[in-house]
Formats: sequence, structure tokens, C-alpha cells
Amino acid sequence: MVGMSALRSVAAFAARLSPLKSGNTAANLLTRAIPRTDKVAVRWGHGKRLFVIKPSDYYDRRFLRLLQFYILLTGVPVAIVVTGVNIFIGEAELAEVPEGYEPEHWEYYKHPITRWITRNIYDSPVKDYEKMMAAVQIEKEKADMRLTQLEVRRHMRQQGDGPWFQVPTLNKELVDNSPKSSPDH
Amino acid sequence: MPADYDKGAYPEPPRQTPVVDKQTALPNPALILSKLFYYSVDLPVTTFRDAVDSIRAKNKIVYYHQKFRRVPDLTECKEGDYPCYYEAEMQWRRDYKVDQEIVKVIQERLRACQQREGHSYQQNCAKEIQQFNEVTKNFQSRYGDLGAYASARKCLMKQKERMMAAQAQNA
Repeated sequence: MVGMSALRSVAAFAARLSPLKSGNTAANLLTRAIPRTDKVAVRWGHGKRLFVIKPSDYYDRRFLRLLQFYILLTGVPVAIVVTGVNIFIGEAELAEVPEGYEPEHWEYYKHPITRWITRNIYDSPVKDYEKMMAAVQIEKEKADMRLTQLEVRRHMRQQGDGPWFQVPTLNKELVDNSPKSSPDH
Repeated sequence: MPADYDKGAYPEPPRQTPVVDKQTALPNPALILSKLFYYSVDLPVTTFRDAVDSIRAKNKIVYYHQKFRRVPDLTECKEGDYPCYYEAEMQWRRDYKVDQEIVKVIQERLRACQQREGHSYQQNCAKEIQQFNEVTKNFQSRYGDLGAYASARKCLMKQKERMMAAQAQNA
């Protein structure tokens, strides 16, 4: 109400309070439109306006929002990478092994991502096979050694001429038999 | 485009398209629908495929079928030679997988034949049925009830039982 005089502002206030009085229509006050609160255009359609009271769904919506965020954080880059690989590189085609050529172990797989994984991350199947064979051989040798050890124990205990199962006894040469050597000493 | 399937194993039935003998001026709805399908589905899909193939053509890669060398069997291993046992076991596992795939192929052929022939499959697919029965009977007798922890030793023992039963029957 900056550009209006005091009287005009009082008249506008009075019109706002009682808009149905004869001297208070919009045309009389000229300058600004007074908000007519009883004749406002209500745009609620044909339903009754309700004030719905329900418990807060803030926590549920926050959970779903965070879930979506953290899933898409890695999901979208992975989806882009996989789509890009499938479109731009594409799966391999089966071909005959050329003469005198030994394919690398990753060249036996179809999908480019599988090939990358077996090339850079996994050991070759030949190496895995050899590792397993080495483990089997070591275990076999351990088992054989344990069996021979039992066998050797048995023999040494029986015969008594081996280094094991020796009971330390007195040395006969160090025993002084002079007190008992003659009957009437 | 990927290679076509084996036409000898999955023969196509003879075509039965009737001779067009149009006697009305009305449009043929089957023709309209087929053209609709062609323009709305077939053409976009084919152009997309061709576009993607032209992009992929620059980075073509190939893969090969791995052939494993034959190693001595479980029967040819000396007793206590565990590395030999391991190699024989791995070879047996590979052979088991191959046999499973063979059975799947024969099953697929029988299924395709039945689908092709419709209600008269019992007489028209006699060859496929006989092949299927033979293959499944052999598979059952060799790998039948070995279970989830099947191994080369158990298979060998099963073979021994089979041979003993055959000998008892012959004697």
C-alpha cells in the first residue's frame, strides 16, 4: 500500500472487512482489487475437500528413495558397460582352430566379458589342473610317509636294533663291583 | 547372421501354401495383417540387427572348441597313483557332460519331430523314437543311478556289476 494515501488504505481495509456494503465494490476503490474471500473460484472439481489424517510416510519414502539411489549408483554404470560391450564388441563366433596354432585359454569362451575375466583375473584351467595335481601328489607323499613311519616304528619296536625305542641304561663298565665281588668283604 | 540349423536332423514339412484364386474384390485380411506385422515388427527389428552387426563387424572375435587329449583310464592307472586317478576322474567328468549333451540333442530331435508331425507322430517319427529309446537306455545303464556325487570309481563299479550280471546270465 505504498502509493496510496491513508484514507484510501482505510477504505480498502473497510471494504475487505465488509465487502457487501454499498460503497465498497471494486469499482469504487479503483486502484487495486480487494481479495473477495467469499467469492473465490474454488477449483476442487466435484469432490468434497477432505483433510486426510494418516501417519507419516516420510520414513518409508526415504527408505525407497535411498534404496533406489544406492542400487542405481552401481547399477547404471554396470548396465551401460554391459550394453556397450554387447553392442560394440559383441559375442565371438565359433571358428575352426587354424593349423599349428595353440589358442590361448581365454579364446575358448564366447562372451567378451567372460574372456576378459578369464584372461585378467582367473588362472588358466591348465594351471588350475596342475595346481590340483601338485596338491594331490603332495598329499600322496605325506600319506606314504606316514604309512612308512608306522611300519618303521613297528619294526624298531620289535627288533630293537634301530635308533628309536632306545631306553638309556647304566654303563656296566662304570659300576664298581668291589663291595660285592668277594663273599666275606 | 548366425548359421542355420542342421536341415537334415530337423527336416521341414512340405509347404502347403494354397494357389491364390481370388474371386472377390474385397481386400484379403490375412494379407493386410501380414503386411502390418512386417512393417511394424519385422522391418524395425531387422534394421536394428543390421545396424548393430555393422558396428560389431569392426571388432570381430572368434572362439574355438577345445579338444582334450585322451589320458589313461581308471583301469589303466597303477594302484595308489593318485595323480593318475585325478586325471582319469577329470576325463570321466568331461565324458559325462558330453553324454548328457548327446541325450539332450536326441531329446530335442524327438520333440521337434513330434511337433512337426502332429497327431501322426508315432508312425512318422519311428526312427527318432528308436534312436531316443536306444540312447536313453544306454545312458541309464551307464550313468543311471550314480546320483549327485557320481565319480569315475562308482561308474566303474557299476560297470563291474553289469558285467557280473551278464556273466551270471550267460552261465
